[in-house]
Amino acid sequence: MADNLVIAGREFKSRLMVGTGKFASNSIMSRAIEKSGTEIVTVALRRVDIENKDDDMLSAIDSSKYLLLPNTSGARSAEEAVRLARLARAATGINWLKLEVTPDPYYLLPDPVETLKAAQILVKEGFVVLPYINADPVLAKRLQDAGVATVMPLASPIGSNQGLKTRAAIEIIIEQANVPVVVDAGLGLPSHAAEAMEMGADAVLVNTAIATADKPEEMAEAFKLAVQAGRMAYQCGPRAASRTANASSPLTGFLRSS
Amino acid sequence: MEMLKINGVDREFPAGQMPKTIAELLEQLRIETATVVAEVDGLIVEREKFAKTKLSKGQSIELVRFVPGG
Repeated sequence: MADNLVIAGREFKSRLMVGTGKFASNSIMSRAIEKSGTEIVTVALRRVDIENKDDDMLSAIDSSKYLLLPNTSGARSAEEAVRLARLARAATGINWLKLEVTPDPYYLLPDPVETLKAAQILVKEGFVVLPYINADPVLAKRLQDAGVATVMPLASPIGSNQGLKTRAAIEIIIEQANVPVVVDAGLGLPSHAAEAMEMGADAVLVNTAIATADKPEEMAEAFKLAVQAGRMAYQCGPRAASRTANASSPLTGFLRSS
Repeated sequence: MEMLKINGVDREFPAGQMPKTIAELLEQLRIETATVVAEVDGLIVEREKFAKTKLSKGQSIELVRFVPGG
């Protein structure tokens, strides 16, 4: 049976989303995206640099193969996020949006109040909203009630490579969610991505760990395999950890007297 | 001189030489139209309306496009 990721009625074979930031060149980005097997890539929206216009990255992404997921990075309030969302929709003609509102420049943690406010407005305007949030189960539920398409709790601060620091809270989010849970931000190694998938996340989003590796293309493939392995393990019904040993070999028939 | 504010920066044009539409402005600045979205005084202008959207002096224009991001 096909094990596809379904977001807002659209099916995806890959459970790995890839961010396009920080690659050394468009061609490296393009090859890494290919190797990752992803079908969803994120992009940001910024002012055209009028003095230096050779910065068009869209030519490096085949939009027939990948869904472009514009983000609202840089937004510090709901109002700014909504403005960016509308511009992104005008630019792509598609209404999918990774909503992020991060007023704090040091940890780049998302603002829950402004994110919820923006999500409520954008859902009403017909956007498919994928909000980036702190791993807050109550907020995740509130967003779900507002009609978002997924929730995207952070594993640890963006680009920090710290892995699943919010594991316990993400477990609760997964347990309560009726929309896909995409673990985003801070996944620094394929093992972190596998861990998120093993615990039942529906997908993960990775950018920095791939883009800044010495070999981004190979790292993209490593993440692809880790996400597949983690998903497969989750479906196999993994057993819980126990404090004491449980012998794997029989405890009878030993070669000793009495 | 006539002025347009483009991406937050004032640009002056000799009288009579200010671009008349968004399409003309992009052409003057040598910006590839296909990947750009514009806002004039806070209102989004769809790409297919670039040639029809008249500019008047003093307007504030934002020209944005996609860049790499996570």
